[in-house]
Amino acid sequence: MSGRGTRHTAVTGLGVVAPNGLDADTYWKSVKEGASVLDRITREGCEHLPLRVAGEVRGFDPSALIEETFLVQTDKFTHFALAAADAALQDAGLSSSAADSPYSVGVVTAAGSGGGEFGQRELQKLWGQGSRFVGPYQSIAWFYAASTGQISIRKGFKGPCGVVASDEAGGLDAVAHAARAVHRGTEVVVVGAAEAPLAPYSGVCQLGYPELSTEADPDRAYRPFTAAACGFVPAEGGAVLVVEDLERARRRDAFVRATVAGHAATFTGASRWDRSREGLAHAIRGALDEAGCAPEEIDVVFADAMGIPEADRAEALALADALGPHGTRVPVTAPKTGIGRSYCGAPLLDIVAAVQAMEHGQIPPTPGVFDICHDIDLVTARPRPAELRTALVLSRGLMGSNAALVLRRGPGPAR
Amino acid sequence: MTTDVTEVTVEELAALMKKAAGVTVDPQELERRVDTPFGEFGLDSLGLLGIVGELENRHGRALPTDAERCKSPRAFLDLVNGALTTGA
Amino acid sequence: MTRRVAVTGIGVVAPGGIGVPAFWDLLSNGRTATRGITLFDPAGLRSRIAAECDFDPLAHGLDIDVVERADRYIQFALVAAREAVADSGVDFAAEDPWRVAVSLGSAVGGTTRLEHDYVLVSERGQRWDVDHRAAEPQLHRAFSPSTLAADVAERFGAQGPVQTVSTGCTSGLDAVGYAFHTIEEGRADLCIAGASDSPISPITMACFDAIKATSPNNDDPEHASRPFDAQRDGFVMGEGAAVLVLEELEHARARGAHIYCEIGGYATFGNAYHMTGLTCEGLEMARAIDDTLDHARVDPTEIDYVNAHGSGTRQNDRHETAAVKKSLGAHAYDTPMSSIKSMVGHSLGAIGAIEVVACVLALARQVVPPTANYETPDPECDLDYVPRTARPRRLDNVLSVGSGFGGFQSAVLLTGPSGRRRR
Repeated sequence: MSGRGTRHTAVTGLGVVAPNGLDADTYWKSVKEGASVLDRITREGCEHLPLRVAGEVRGFDPSALIEETFLVQTDKFTHFALAAADAALQDAGLSSSAADSPYSVGVVTAAGSGGGEFGQRELQKLWGQGSRFVGPYQSIAWFYAASTGQISIRKGFKGPCGVVASDEAGGLDAVAHAARAVHRGTEVVVVGAAEAPLAPYSGVCQLGYPELSTEADPDRAYRPFTAAACGFVPAEGGAVLVVEDLERARRRDAFVRATVAGHAATFTGASRWDRSREGLAHAIRGALDEAGCAPEEIDVVFADAMGIPEADRAEALALADALGPHGTRVPVTAPKTGIGRSYCGAPLLDIVAAVQAMEHGQIPPTPGVFDICHDIDLVTARPRPAELRTALVLSRGLMGSNAALVLRRGPGPAR
Repeated sequence: MTTDVTEVTVEELAALMKKAAGVTVDPQELERRVDTPFGEFGLDSLGLLGIVGELENRHGRALPTDAERCKSPRAFLDLVNGALTTGA
Repeated sequence: MTRRVAVTGIGVVAPGGIGVPAFWDLLSNGRTATRGITLFDPAGLRSRIAAECDFDPLAHGLDIDVVERADRYIQFALVAAREAVADSGVDFAAEDPWRVAVSLGSAVGGTTRLEHDYVLVSERGQRWDVDHRAAEPQLHRAFSPSTLAADVAERFGAQGPVQTVSTGCTSGLDAVGYAFHTIEEGRADLCIAGASDSPISPITMACFDAIKATSPNNDDPEHASRPFDAQRDGFVMGEGAAVLVLEELEHARARGAHIYCEIGGYATFGNAYHMTGLTCEGLEMARAIDDTLDHARVDPTEIDYVNAHGSGTRQNDRHETAAVKKSLGAHAYDTPMSSIKSMVGHSLGAIGAIEVVACVLALARQVVPPTANYETPDPECDLDYVPRTARPRRLDNVLSVGSGFGGFQSAVLLTGPSGRRRR
């Protein structure tokens, strides 16, 4: 290969807005303990839908974090992204003025559901009252590019800006996209995904996914890798990372929390879960290849864990296909069973968990999942201490994308 | 929708700036700085368009096409109130 | 060893003509395809005009089940992709599917279907707690933006990186740019790249009404899209799709493919200024142009044609004129710069790809498409906008630029066969 992949890109900042925590540390604490926050959906206008259980972000007060001039013109998915971006930049020790040039900092987000609540409000004005009641912000709040644009404007970042509008796996693709921008010479990229799909009409739109769990009992709604798997539970929220050139991070004595070592993406068709075995295995091999990583070096796998028996089987078999005998021995976990899948935000939250798992030497468990019916070593019930140098994060999307990302533990705080 | 309110006051404009654009400004300060460009209050072109739309819906009539191009509170109020009171 | 990226196939669904021959006929004759909206009743809107595609999906070879399942913008993309694939001569069934990528852009994706079903489930905007029982079974496909790339990937058996790009009105340029990077950096040998949008629906027209970005010239729709003209009064909404088959150069040569041109470079920057506004200086777009030329190792004086964003808003036209002057210097005055939006309207995310296909054709035919409706010069826009009539010209290096809501500023460079030899 040309050597212009994702290697040697440092992760120096983490920002989280998740159902189980409004900052990265609270999120990690909950993930490590294996807590589940899945609950009956309470969002106004959603209670009657056959989508019963979700991972809602609660207690998030955007007005305490973001200027009102930004809030009036943005949907909740952008509020989450702006807040998480702030936290990630702070964690990285970067403010907008710290950049050598505004062109040296880019912004990339993945988006899979857009500004649904804002859009529904404006649709209601249009159809209920008339076109003159549609406000000037509909044109910039609903569309998928809103979060990238607003982060860039609010922070003054003029570097390469991008948006992968994608299914879940797009969250990993966005991180790879950012890492590649760093390889092409951009010093820093703020990259992430946050979603807000829990509005009434967005909920209706998701009901068509055959994989959506309609189980009403939060304890039984999302149980991948078990015989009782009945689909996935949607969630809102996500995470933002600061990635930057490793040498630059070292020069400025930044705390390098991890490095992005390799990525690959494949496509095997919407809801073709049998075929995702091959697609995921191919993506894993590609990511390992780019990372220069042997299968045995993988210390932990953050699984996609779709929660559909056929999909879970495909994922377990893909690990064996791609990692050989190590595939059945490597610890696997899926913290998202405790918080739900926030579409493109889900793999970003898994990255944050993986980085913190490596830092703490603890593999978080898979909440609410017992009686595994696949040949994998799924970590359940309680965290498992382990020396973790390399993590593999997997993601698949409802429209057929598969992606794998290899992370290496960072050297830690600068001396 | 018809209306008896013929004049848009500084207070009303301040409230609209808050509602339509998220710009918080004390009405007395707005009165004092009535010739200051909107941009210095943090109000951009989209925000002013939102205010124009809101006023048009409230008063049930279109405002002059230049309304959203007004640079300052005074220019805006003069134009809008001129239009509303003359019924133009 | 640097991998180079060739264009070996093109396809287009555009207002005024479906397919490459009809599209080029429209552009080269300077005809406009803007008219009163027929796709829905636009009564009550400020702007009631658009450039619509006369598109019969069955006549263009789509199966009835695809027509029933897929949104209009996806149908556009499938038809444009089929034309591009046939044009390329690639036998996708014989290619390594893991080495075939898809990169397609869309600004608003399934909005038209989302709005249609919203009306059903909300009883025309009467209830917040919408009734799911009235929704169509395929609604989730409109909700997910990745449906676009997924449907095209599935149709042609692509199993490599498959992504939908959504950077507002630069989506089409950026989708081509991402595809360029994907091949250049070795993640695929072939990429089906392009963009599609079908935004002519009440909510999208109303939201541009609300910011007065679209032209209210309802009495004279044929002449309403007037980029760079002093009488311009906003853009005219459009719809359509364009798809290119991009291929690693040696891969294309090995199979004896017809090579239209190469993608020489691509860059994008944010303006960090305003979600919809543009500065007078155009520094960020200039930066995108500069980086694109640097990457391609092409000197600004070697640019033979600039395909402008040219939306026909006053702000855009000045911004872009300033950017091109900053990047090309005095050479800007010798470089024709035209906007095909004068003819096919502004199809949001799709237009960037449609413009790239226009550039591919311009290189192939050695003809610069005109800016239709350009009559009255604006003193602040003083470049050569190729008024009304297409112009034969020697073209080796052609630049396409775009701006998008969110502050995106992108540029793509295309280099024709003689330009390649020159290097």
